[in-house]
Amino acid sequence: MEVLREKVEEEEEAEREDAAERAERARTEKMMRQVEVRKEETTLTQEMLRDLEKKLSEIRIPVSVEVPAFTKDTIDISMLPVSYKTNTSKEEQLLQLADNFSRQYSHLCPDRVPLFLHPLNECEVPKFVSTTLRPTLMPYPELYNWDSCAQFVSDFLTMVPLPDPLKPPLHLYSSSTVLKYQKGNCFDFSTLLCSMLIGSGYDAYCVNGYGSQDLCHMDLTREVCPLTVKPKETIKREEKVLPKKYTIRPPRDLCSRFEQEQEMKRQQEIRAQEEKRLKEEEERLMEAEKANPDALHGLRVHSWVLVLSGKREVPENFFIDPFTARSYSTQDEHFLGIESLWNHKNYWINMQDCWNCCKDLIFDLGDPVRWEYMLLGTDKPELFLTEDDSGINNEDDVENLHSWVEQIEISPEAFETRCPNGKKVIQYKRAKLEKWAPYLNHNGLVSRLTTYEDLECTNILEIKEWYRNREDMLELRHINKTTALKTDYFKPGHPRALRVHSYKSMQPEMDRVIEFYETARVDGLIKREETPRTMTEYYRGRSDFLSYRHVDFGPRVKKLTLSSAESNPRPVVKITERFFRNPAKPAEEDVAERVFLVAEERIQLRYHCREDHITASKREFLRRSEVDSEGNKIIVTPDMCITFEVEPMEHTKKLLYQYETLMHLKKEEKLSRRQVWESELEVLEILKLLKEEEEVHTLTISIYDTKRNEKSKEYREAMERMMHEEHLRQVETQLDYLAPFLVQLPPGEKLTRWQAVRLKDECLSDFKQRLINKANLIQARFEKETQELQKKQQWYQENQVTLTPEDEDLYLSYCSQAMFRIRILEQRLNRHKELAPLKYLALEEKLHKDPRLGELLKMFT
Amino acid sequence: MNRLYTSLEPRVIDDGMLKLAVGEQRPQEEAGKLAKQEGILFKDVLSLQLDFRNILRIDNLWQFENLKKLQLNNNIIEKIEGLENLTHLVWLDLSFNNIETIEGLDTLVNLEDLSLFNNCISNIDSLDALIKLQVLSLGNNQIDNMMNIIYLRRFRCLRTLSLSGNPISEVEDYKMFICAYLPDLVYLDFRRIDDHTKEVAEAKHHYSIEELKHRENLMQAQMEEEQARREELEKHKTAFVEHLNGSFLFDSMYAEDSEGNKLSSLPGVSELLESLTYRDKFVIICVNIFEYGLKHQEKRKTELDTFSECVHEAIQENQEQGKRKIAKFEEKHLMSLSAIREEVEMPNIEKMILECSTDISELFDALMTLEMQLVEQLEETINMFERNIVHLVGLFIKNVQSLYPFCDDLLCTMAQCRDLENHHHEKLLEISISTLEKAVKGNLDKDLSEDVRGLFVDKNTIVNAVGASHDIHLLKIDNREDELVTRINSWCTRLVDKIRRDEIMRNRKRVKEISLYIDHMKSELDNLEYSDILD
Repeated sequence: MEVLREKVEEEEEAEREDAAERAERARTEKMMRQVEVRKEETTLTQEMLRDLEKKLSEIRIPVSVEVPAFTKDTIDISMLPVSYKTNTSKEEQLLQLADNFSRQYSHLCPDRVPLFLHPLNECEVPKFVSTTLRPTLMPYPELYNWDSCAQFVSDFLTMVPLPDPLKPPLHLYSSSTVLKYQKGNCFDFSTLLCSMLIGSGYDAYCVNGYGSQDLCHMDLTREVCPLTVKPKETIKREEKVLPKKYTIRPPRDLCSRFEQEQEMKRQQEIRAQEEKRLKEEEERLMEAEKANPDALHGLRVHSWVLVLSGKREVPENFFIDPFTARSYSTQDEHFLGIESLWNHKNYWINMQDCWNCCKDLIFDLGDPVRWEYMLLGTDKPELFLTEDDSGINNEDDVENLHSWVEQIEISPEAFETRCPNGKKVIQYKRAKLEKWAPYLNHNGLVSRLTTYEDLECTNILEIKEWYRNREDMLELRHINKTTALKTDYFKPGHPRALRVHSYKSMQPEMDRVIEFYETARVDGLIKREETPRTMTEYYRGRSDFLSYRHVDFGPRVKKLTLSSAESNPRPVVKITERFFRNPAKPAEEDVAERVFLVAEERIQLRYHCREDHITASKREFLRRSEVDSEGNKIIVTPDMCITFEVEPMEHTKKLLYQYETLMHLKKEEKLSRRQVWESELEVLEILKLLKEEEEVHTLTISIYDTKRNEKSKEYREAMERMMHEEHLRQVETQLDYLAPFLVQLPPGEKLTRWQAVRLKDECLSDFKQRLINKANLIQARFEKETQELQKKQQWYQENQVTLTPEDEDLYLSYCSQAMFRIRILEQRLNRHKELAPLKYLALEEKLHKDPRLGELLKMFT
Repeated sequence: MNRLYTSLEPRVIDDGMLKLAVGEQRPQEEAGKLAKQEGILFKDVLSLQLDFRNILRIDNLWQFENLKKLQLNNNIIEKIEGLENLTHLVWLDLSFNNIETIEGLDTLVNLEDLSLFNNCISNIDSLDALIKLQVLSLGNNQIDNMMNIIYLRRFRCLRTLSLSGNPISEVEDYKMFICAYLPDLVYLDFRRIDDHTKEVAEAKHHYSIEELKHRENLMQAQMEEEQARREELEKHKTAFVEHLNGSFLFDSMYAEDSEGNKLSSLPGVSELLESLTYRDKFVIICVNIFEYGLKHQEKRKTELDTFSECVHEAIQENQEQGKRKIAKFEEKHLMSLSAIREEVEMPNIEKMILECSTDISELFDALMTLEMQLVEQLEETINMFERNIVHLVGLFIKNVQSLYPFCDDLLCTMAQCRDLENHHHEKLLEISISTLEKAVKGNLDKDLSEDVRGLFVDKNTIVNAVGASHDIHLLKIDNREDELVTRINSWCTRLVDKIRRDEIMRNRKRVKEISLYIDHMKSELDNLEYSDILD
């Protein structure tokens, strides 16, 4: 029996082995066939696809699809590497493991949705999701931080809705394919983003969960545009200064406390009412804005990215929605639940209840009660310590979790273009944001934000346009449609040092405010405000301490001729100038404000206040009828100047002093009026310049931008051409001087010695002839020139008497030129004579060394 | 002797000459007429030209207080004098005179340009006060010593120098020497010194200049050190504990004490003096007092600082309020004035003027109320400060004097010094008595000097000697203590007085200012009235 049993056992064992072998064979065969299938894809896949498509179209719930779905038939898989098309044995093992895990899971939790563990890739090969993540650090420094990274992903890809909004997709394409076609669903988005974030060091995870309708459809129409939100003004907490020991006591307050309280109460009541009213208003608005409830709320599948705190100085956990690149707190109500999450190393299932959205979830992935992990040993470190031994067993699993996806690559062009075709439009609540790639628009426009008054987006409230690479440094243009006020913001570097220019029309002498970068200006002008009748200028950092100048203009005097602002400036009625304190002067001599009342012929001076005084000196000059018609004779009388001095001084009482001051002021007045006139001119010039710039709008191109910079391109091409020419010349120098003579001989035959000698002689004699010819040519030219000159000289001597001076000049210039030519020819001839024998010898030498003739000649010599 | 005084007789600067000179340079045309009409005060004159007048002696220039430029060239002046009051002088021309020595320039600290061309000067000196000197012209003189150049090194601003026509300019090395020793010089004898010459000159005189520089640096360092020491002492003096940070007091106790010194040669006494029990302890006490004094000084200083800061703030605040009030008033006042000017009907004008004057008096009231308020507040604060500072000073004095040390384990009062001295005295007496006993027995040490032996004749003498030494010591300690106390007290009273005086001055000034302003406003209004009536 024993033996029998053993035999049976043996048989069984053999059978089992057989079965295993068969299974193995079958699998390999299948794999082989699969590979073959790939090879003959043209016929087979089409059918399969059609089948698949049919099936899918049957299943699909009609969703409003604006964007063409990103399906497999649009993908060219022929160019993909092998790792995309097959699974390695390790991957197979992993898949088995995953299957096992999935089976156990569905057994344990039968009421939960099956796991999203190994979707098919673009080649219809099942791949474990963690291996689809390919952590990559991008070579662009802009993509180092999560916000810019997410923004890039959301800009770069076009969103495609899930085929079935209630189920995770059947396919999960590799990030490289997604990048190539710039399309993807939420899973593609989050996979790409997650790969990039892990690559740049974040503790990031892909999340498979449930999101709100807005989130799943990338619908931002109910969101306030982040660009319109004004940054909250951080209220500076006033530091309470501790009263110092000797701080004086305030004077006794004699107001009634009771009355104050009553007043306060009344105010508060009013405020409360106001607040209530506002709140109601707001509620009403909210009601209007609120969307009709979603029937599928809580069932819509979405995928996003979770970033855990700890790495890269992330202070707390947060979600990133890859569609919109916005970050949300983990408590946000848009996120309705989490099924599972994974990174490039492991896969976790959420075992916590999501009845209250994600608000109560605890993201301690090391806690096996809350988070069921799939692979051992890749857990969070806290668990690693406790289950050290079990962790080691599975270490090779961990080590070998290699991604099958190719390195994620983004070309610089694609990176710069960002959005598909370089253009993207996002609709927000009461706002529309348009984005363009730089250099796409001719005027440098890169983004435009239009804000609307109403939810339907019909009445434009304001438009903000951002520009880049403009030659005039225009950075932002803000157009307020209600007030028709335009405000242009410039970066430093405008030829007129403009910083901000706000205006309603480009016509001169209208309301406008121009601000300047005062450090770039010689006159230290900060701001110039204009209204039709006034102009106000603010200065800083001037050597004459001028800080402010205000000019009132009168109505323009009508002239018969067509008058522009340039030729007919408006009459100045009043100039007010203020000055900073000049520390070099005593306060009572330092003018703080001076007013030229041009029409009334009065000048008012106000001096600075001394440190320990409260009153300032004043002086007023009345210039009544003091100028005679013929000259500057001024009769000074004591009543012409009204003076108040804080500390009366002797010398200022004198008429002489007053007279001198007055004369000085008159000069200053003239100067000020001139400066006013210059300012007006400058405004005109600026307006002209702006108009020109608006019409031309040239864009600057960085010298490092090799693609766009025409100049450098030309230069580079010129360099290349030169290289090429150089090369050609080198080839030319190696030109075969024997060729014309060798042609005469029958080709392909070895030269005889006699032939060689003849060849050499011919060559040399030919060269000699050429040299002689050249010499003759030069000689002939020389003689010709000389003859002509002689002729001319003869002619001159004959007609010398009758010549006009111009002719004589002509003759003389001809002579000098002829002489020059003759001299050059002479020099050339001499040089030729000198060099000819040398050249001849050189050729002879060369011929001697020529490999074709050399040996024969050597033998001969 | 440049010129012989043959042609004209020598003259002296008198009033007539000055008036004439001032009159000559007054402005032209209209301004000139005005100036003539009003006359020019000598102290308003900024520049004066007195050349070619055969002046022998400089005199009567003291009235020109604000003179900046004075030309006295081409005269026959023999001595520089009478320029002491012209401290604002920047430009002084004394060329073509008969001056032999440089003198009388010590007060002209602002002088930048000095010309002594064509005189008989043989030595450059007495110019130390002229730290701002930039241009010095000394050509055509009798200077013959190269060392004069080194004297010029002290003028850091000197850029232009002319020395041609002097005996030293005949020396072959003249130019190089000057270039080397005065490296900041730019123009020499009306020519620019080029860089090449400078380099060559420097290379030539390299060693001697280095030596000179080294010496100068040493001197500089010494002076700085001295300065630092003086400052330190000054600081200690303000803390009233100078010379207490060492054995100075102890040494001074023995400085005038002949008996004590004699006694110290006794066996055992020197050990007593040198041992830790007395001298060191004494010094420790002194140092402790010193440190305590510095600490207290710091305290007083912070007290004073906070006080002045607060007062300053209060005054500033008050001034701001006043300024605001005035600005508001002025705005309104200007409007009403122009309204009055435009008004035609008499009764209306009168009404408006009345309004204006009430406005003015209201402003006056408001400003005065503000001022009075501030005065009251400051009074209170000053009183508080006085209390505090007096208390602080009292505490310091008490602690320094007191029998009970303010902290138990530290030796830091004068009383402890005295205790120590008493203790020492007792011990000394003991030793002396024992020595006397020995002397009586006849076995006194042989190596004692005759002076000391003289003391040991009888008990009275020795006790007296020891007592006298003790008294001197105590006196020294007492004196030091008294000095400290009186000085700190007087400082305190002076400080408080000064604060009060300043406050009173400030108040008066402000009141004066306000009334001046109000008066002006009123008179302006009155003028308006008159002119209206006239119209």
